[in-house]
This record gives sequence, C-alpha cells and structure tokens, in this order.
Amino acid sequence: MPTARASPSPGGSLTEILYYLGEEGRIVAVDSTSNFPPEATAYPSVGYVRALSAEGLLSLDPTLVLGEDDMGPPEVLEMVASAGVPVVRVAEAHTAAGIVDKVRCVAAVLGISAAVAPLVQDLLATDAALTRGTSGATTAAPRVALLLQFRDGSPIGAGRDTSGAGLLQMAGAANALAEFEGWKPVSMEAMSLARPDYIIITERGVNAAGGAAQVLAHPAVRLVAAAWTDDPTERLIVMDGMAMLGFGPRTLGAALELAGRMGTVPGR
Amino acid sequence: MTVRAAFAPTPKGQGRLPAAITPRQIRLRAPALAVLSAALALACGAGLTSGAIPISLVEALLREDASLHRSVLLEIRAPRVLLAGCVGAALAVSGASLQGLFRNPLADPGLIGVSSGAALGASLMIVLGSSLAIGGVLAMVALPGAAIAGAMLVTGFLYWFSSRFGHFSIVTIVLVGIAANALAGVGTGALQYLSDDAALRTLTFWLMGSFGRATWPTLLHAALAMAAAAAPLLLVARGLDLLQLGEAEAYHLGVDVRRLKRSVVLGSAAAVGAGVAVAGIVGFVGLVVPHLVRLAIGASHRHLLPGAALLGATLTILADTVARTAASPAEIPVSLVTSALGAPFFLWLIARERPK
Repeated sequence: MPTARASPSPGGSLTEILYYLGEEGRIVAVDSTSNFPPEATAYPSVGYVRALSAEGLLSLDPTLVLGEDDMGPPEVLEMVASAGVPVVRVAEAHTAAGIVDKVRCVAAVLGISAAVAPLVQDLLATDAALTRGTSGATTAAPRVALLLQFRDGSPIGAGRDTSGAGLLQMAGAANALAEFEGWKPVSMEAMSLARPDYIIITERGVNAAGGAAQVLAHPAVRLVAAAWTDDPTERLIVMDGMAMLGFGPRTLGAALELAGRMGTVPGR
Repeated sequence: MTVRAAFAPTPKGQGRLPAAITPRQIRLRAPALAVLSAALALACGAGLTSGAIPISLVEALLREDASLHRSVLLEIRAPRVLLAGCVGAALAVSGASLQGLFRNPLADPGLIGVSSGAALGASLMIVLGSSLAIGGVLAMVALPGAAIAGAMLVTGFLYWFSSRFGHFSIVTIVLVGIAANALAGVGTGALQYLSDDAALRTLTFWLMGSFGRATWPTLLHAALAMAAAAAPLLLVARGLDLLQLGEAEAYHLGVDVRRLKRSVVLGSAAAVGAGVAVAGIVGFVGLVVPHLVRLAIGASHRHLLPGAALLGATLTILADTVARTAASPAEIPVSLVTSALGAPFFLWLIARERPK
C-alpha cells in the first residue's frame, strides 16, 4: 500500500493554517467550508464537515485526518481511526490565544514546530498589538452587533458564546447582543434595545441583502442607524465572514482591522 | 381491477385499496417473490462491491495482505448495506400496513408525519438527554425508545382523528399529514433553538440522517427492534385484507378489529421509529414500494407485505449505494436519492386520482 504524505483537512481554519505554514503540499482533500485561499477549493471535497463518510476518507489513502472540534459524525471518525488512520481533532477556543494554540498544535502534529517558530512569533506579535491597544483604550468600549446575514427578514446575530462574540472581545468591543446565547435571529425591537454603536456584517450577508444601502434601510437596522450622528456607512462594517469567524490566522488580522476602524486601538 | 379503481370514490365503509385481484396477479405471486429475492441478493452484491475504494470481494476475503480492504468491507460496508436493507424493509412494510389500516394509498410514514414524529421524539431525547446526562446502555435504548414513542403518538393521533371525524378521503390524509409534519417541525425547531452548543452539534449530526454511522452493534439493535415490530404486521395480513371491506364487515367476518388496529398502529410506528432512530428520515420508500408490489401481485397483504419488505430493502440499498458513490469522497444524503425517485411518483399518483 502506498503511503501518501497526506492530510485531508476538514475545517476551513485548518486548511488556512496549513497554507499559512506553507504545508499545503500535504493536503489531499478538504471539506466544503475550506474556501480560503481560493486555490484550496481545487482539492477533492470530503463534503460537509459534520457529514463525513468513512469510506470516502479512507479512499484518499491519507496518513492523517486533521479536523476541527466539530467534525463528525463521531461514529464515522471511529471507523477511520480503527482502520489505522490517525484522526486528530484540533481544539477550538474563540480567543487570540486559541488561534495561536491551533497553529502550534497543527505544527506539532506535522512535526515542524521548530521550522515554523518565526510564523508563530508573527501571530504572537499581532496578538500583543491587539492586547496593548485594546487594554490601553481610554474611552468606553463601543457596543457592537455582529450579524451573519438576514434570514426570513431577521438578521442572525452573534450572542454569547459564539465565534462572533470572541472576535468582538479580541477587537476590544462590547457585544451589544449578549442578552442571548448562540446565533439567533434578532427582532427589530431587540436590535433597537441593543443600541449598537457599530454593526458588523459579513460580505455574504450584504451581498445577499443586495448591498450596504439595503442593509441600512432594513427595518431592524434603520432605527439603529437613525441614532448614529455621523455617516452611517462608516458605522456599518462589512468584512469577509470566514476571515472574521473562521478563527484561523486571518482572524487576528481581522480583529486588528476592526479595532482600528472602531478606534479601540489608540494611535492607529 | 386497476390502481385507478383504487382511487375511485367508493360508498362509505367500503375499501379504497384494490380489493379484487386479477388471475394474472395471482399467477405472478410466486415468481414475483422469487424475482424480488433475487433482486435483493443482487442489490446486496452491488452494495458490497461498490464504494469509494475499489475492492474485489475475492481478493479482500482471501488474500492475506488485503487487511485494509477486508476491514472496509466487513466493518464499514457490510453493516451499512444490511442496515439500509433493514430500514428499507421496515419502511415499506409499515407503509403497506398503514395504507391497509387507513384504506388509503397515500398513507406513507413520511407524508403523514409518522417519521417526523419519530424525529421529534429522538431530538427531544438528544436535547433533554444531554442535560439529564443519560449515558451508556440507557442512551442506546432511550433514543430509539423516544423515536418509537413519537411515531406512535402521531399514528395514534391520526387514527383517532380519522375515526372521530370520519374516514379520511384519499387526499385528506395528506392534508392532515402536512399538519402533523408542521407540528413536529415546530417541536424540532424549538429544540434546535433551545439546545446548547453540544446538544445542537449532536442534533445536527443526527438530523442529517444517513446509513454511514452503521456499525455491527447499531445494526444488531436496530434489526432486532425492527424485526420485533414488523413480525406482528405480517401476522395480521389476513385481517388487513378483510378490513378493506369496511370495519363492520371485517368484524362480522370474525376479525378482532380493535386488536388489529392496535397491532398495526404499534407495529408500524415501532418499525418506523427504530429506523428513524438509526438513519434519520428516509422519504417515500413507504409510498413507492407497496404501490409497485401491488401493481404486480395485487393487494393481498399476505403476499404484499413480504414483497414490500424485499423490494423496500432492495431499493434502499441501491439508493444508499448511489448516495455514497455519486459524490465520493463526499456523500449525498440518502433521502435526497429516495425523494428524487419518490416525489415524481407521488405526483403521478395524484394525477391519476384526478377525475377526467
């Protein structure tokens, strides 16, 4: 049996990390959430990360299956493991340290920790810049509502214990939607009560809504935007969803950029 | 008598499934069952020999150095093929007996909400179970148990509704089914909304529904449960035949109608519930299969039920084989395949029912 040096990597952020570490040559297949960098979509797809196929994974003849916390179903991964292919789950924490830990973990699993130390140092430097900036902020943290997209007329917002809440914390912002847990549709009234100073929305959400003007005109957003005294387009921040919420290396950069735009990092 | 006759409006109390059987259908019974058995054997063969990894049966079983192929064949494919067969047989037998019980050719466990009821029961157990910290053996029994209870609740409700408000017309049962499906959908949606992260994850894995999680232990438990549920259905076949004449007529012909109804409600719900618990909702098998068998060999339940079991197993194994090979190394949901075949068939049935 030929042994390919290969890691199918279910989980968008892990694919991103493999590219970041320059180890994309080891990838034999990716899952359907791996859309960054764009060339990653050229690999065969093992499907949705929560509906993997045991024989499908084994047919790629991998020497390692690398995936995120939520890959599954668990029975399928047990079958893969019992066929002799190591299955590694990389723990997920929605903090800057969590991202650095993920990168370190992937490097350790691949046995290249020493070689990629400078890359990890870069990430730590970004993390340090974030921490310095956000802890040195003199004014009160801005209240921010992070929205995924509109579904059935309501925006889906990031409540407590979500990747979105983690990103806001990294960027030194207060989650205006901390009243509820998880990703939930936010009503018009709840949005007005939340009184966010900024609204962050994914690019995909804006495109689906038909543009930033449509988002600002949406009933759930209009009342909030009316309370903003300056240019509302400055307070509606549009960013790539996977960059913000994938919790790969790009998320550190996204947090830094958000902090800059909201003025939570002085001097930027 | 043709299928069209089955849909023709009949006086109250009279059967709506084809009661008369043509001599040709009687002649076809034994050969048809033999052909269906052979088809099932071929489907098993096709299921075992196709997959993402090219495996030769002979080499995998006989060659010493083919251990990976052997374990893929014996630990992944074989339980999966057998589970698909069991669930397909259970759905088809349940569909055939529900159609007999409601005297309605559109009574499919999926369409009338029995499967959704089972899904709601199982979801409830996943979400509550994670907070009650039910584990081990209890969890293995609790999930199918809850699914069966959910299926029984819907079947029982439908039966109560139909006897309280008069016999269901052909299409009414589908309308009531839409309501039952919607109610169960409300429950499942509310559970998704309420569940915490861990429960939501388990729920998503489970709601995706697939035979891909089949292992020998799950197969064994599910097969035992489905066999125990379906066996009483085969025993009441004669009673179901007489029930087609109407309840009072069946009673006067010596059928214990109450017991018959109880057997069919409990048996079909248990078979569907046990299937849904391991594989999620697999649509339209319970509708399409009994019809095809009825067309060939007539509506006598003593032959219809075994025929439906054989054809249900065959078609579901083939559908699952398509599901796991069409997009390899990924797989597509098996219900997508069965619904792609079943939904046009359903439309065809409705079109035939429309008077010219």
